[in-house]
Amino acid sequence: MFEPKRLHPISAVINFVKGLKDAVLPLVAIVFLNGGFTSGSIEWIPILVSAGVLLLILASGFIRWLRFTYRMEEGELRIEYGLFFRKKRYIPIDRIQSLNFSEGIFHRPFQLVKVDVETAGSSGNEKSEAELTAIRKEEAEQLEEMIHEYKQEKWTPAEEETDESSTEEVREKVYEMKMKEIILMAITSGGAGVVLSGVGVFFSQVMEALPLGAIYQEVVDWIQIGVLVVAFTAILILVIAYGISILLTIGRYANFTVFLQDNDLVITRGWLEKKQMTIPLNRIQGLRIDENLIRQPLGYASVTIISAGGSLLQSDENQLRLLPFIKKAEIAGVMRNIVEEYDLDIELSRPPKRSLPRYIIRQSWLFWLASIPTSIIFFPLGLLSLLVAAAASFLGWIGYYDAGWNISERQMTLRSRSLIKQTFIMKKHRIQAASMTQTILQKRIRLGSVRVSLKSGAGGAVAHCYYLNEETVGDMLDWYQPDQKIRR
Amino acid sequence: MEEPARQISRRALTLWRIYGMIQFAITFVVSAALIVAIVRWEWPIWIMWVAAAILVLELIFSVWLLPSLKWKRWRYEVTEQDVELQHGILLITKTLVPMVRVQHVDTEQGPLLRKFRLATISISTAATVHKIPALDEQEAEELRQSISALARVAEDDV
Repeated sequence: MFEPKRLHPISAVINFVKGLKDAVLPLVAIVFLNGGFTSGSIEWIPILVSAGVLLLILASGFIRWLRFTYRMEEGELRIEYGLFFRKKRYIPIDRIQSLNFSEGIFHRPFQLVKVDVETAGSSGNEKSEAELTAIRKEEAEQLEEMIHEYKQEKWTPAEEETDESSTEEVREKVYEMKMKEIILMAITSGGAGVVLSGVGVFFSQVMEALPLGAIYQEVVDWIQIGVLVVAFTAILILVIAYGISILLTIGRYANFTVFLQDNDLVITRGWLEKKQMTIPLNRIQGLRIDENLIRQPLGYASVTIISAGGSLLQSDENQLRLLPFIKKAEIAGVMRNIVEEYDLDIELSRPPKRSLPRYIIRQSWLFWLASIPTSIIFFPLGLLSLLVAAAASFLGWIGYYDAGWNISERQMTLRSRSLIKQTFIMKKHRIQAASMTQTILQKRIRLGSVRVSLKSGAGGAVAHCYYLNEETVGDMLDWYQPDQKIRR
Repeated sequence: MEEPARQISRRALTLWRIYGMIQFAITFVVSAALIVAIVRWEWPIWIMWVAAAILVLELIFSVWLLPSLKWKRWRYEVTEQDVELQHGILLITKTLVPMVRVQHVDTEQGPLLRKFRLATISISTAATVHKIPALDEQEAEELRQSISALARVAEDDV
């Protein structure tokens, strides 16, 4: 595969659609600002401008496809693109960590995939990852195989003859999400809010465009009924948004399956748009179990992988959900098949009793403070802010009961809650730094908090456990210290 | 865990006092402008009292109190195995960075730091950056070299 290759022509269409999506708001704005619906006679200048922009987007989508080539050469994936400024991006195969595939609605009919090249991006801001908008499925697989072979050749030069068995990769299914779980997850998701704000923006735009002045009088006459109608509409929008969000989530997570293949985790999901994610096992830095306030009482949680994978695209949390929605009791069993070295069946110790007030204060002092002026200025209604402060105190109170820690020979487990209950499970050799923090007041009563950092994506992830005994935190730091004999 | 052994350069204290004074000077200029505004446009007089109070507090805290507290608290220790840091005035933070986790070390020097023959050293792991401010120039240079010599690239663990 040394000759430069083009992407499938359909990527010109995809580029166009993508450009269109970015340009649609400004275009709509142009039309609306120039009178649009209300002025009666539509002026031709905005139309002309819009047409010009559309043509430009179409052309640039096409040209971008025309000028984009990729090839494998001298151990590098070489991509060249750009019209006036020829840009070349050469990615050494060694740095390629995995290829992620996804199939959108444009890809499906032609047996195409979009390929995201994930690199081990330790170099922070340097954008070294690449995207192949649309190539044939066989080509993508070929590409993946070539990368795989190249790496094997390089690392195990002695075993050249045995490559027959290694190219024949075995995919072992380790987890599959049930439809019931997907639906339950969709129902309890917070995605409704996002759709809602989208609908809200849409309506505010439409409302602007309506000839309000002319119907103002009637509105005043009908104001009583109007309030009802508005409330009703609001509820209706809410329900519809919620419904859309549920359908979207189901579509996104349908057929969610986790495979173990060689030394990689492969996650496939999606119904209209299929996605395939590959996470090399040795890039896993730790695990995080999340339980939010709605799902926790139902006994469900999610498991997220903290991976050192490079790209900024991957910082999208949802993509690294290994088990998006699972009965808490089943986690340990499933995870044992996937990452056996992580021990999830452990008892956590709790912070000492005397730190309970601190947990409550930490969550709620700001609200109590704010509720004083609020209550005075907006006298009767403002008192409601006390309720909010009380709720925050309650959150702090359960935060105390949810906190916990455990240390075994090679593993550290920390659990804390601010809003979501998060349990971090980490291996000693993956922790980048550990620290103890204490205020001077806490120092006096011998309490301290622990904070450890992991590598996650291009940045870091931080796990906490607040207000433990000073000696406990001291023990944790001793445990983390590379050679304990030196200092003890 | 005991306190790390070493303190940062005594000259850092003077430097931080100077930073405090620069800050004070800026507030002073703003206050002067306010007084002009009070006279010129008859702004309420209490503004002046607030400005005066801020000036006094700034003189006490940023020039006198905070630099010395900060200096007293700052400790560090570098062994073959790890780097230990301690800092913070109200919130004390003790940090432990194993040497195998260190990816690179930088020293930096602004014009004022250079004048005082000081340098700031920053120690980066894959996920975090830790800074030791205002070390003696020469000490920072030695430290940088010894850390980068000790820090090995731990393969695959990143």
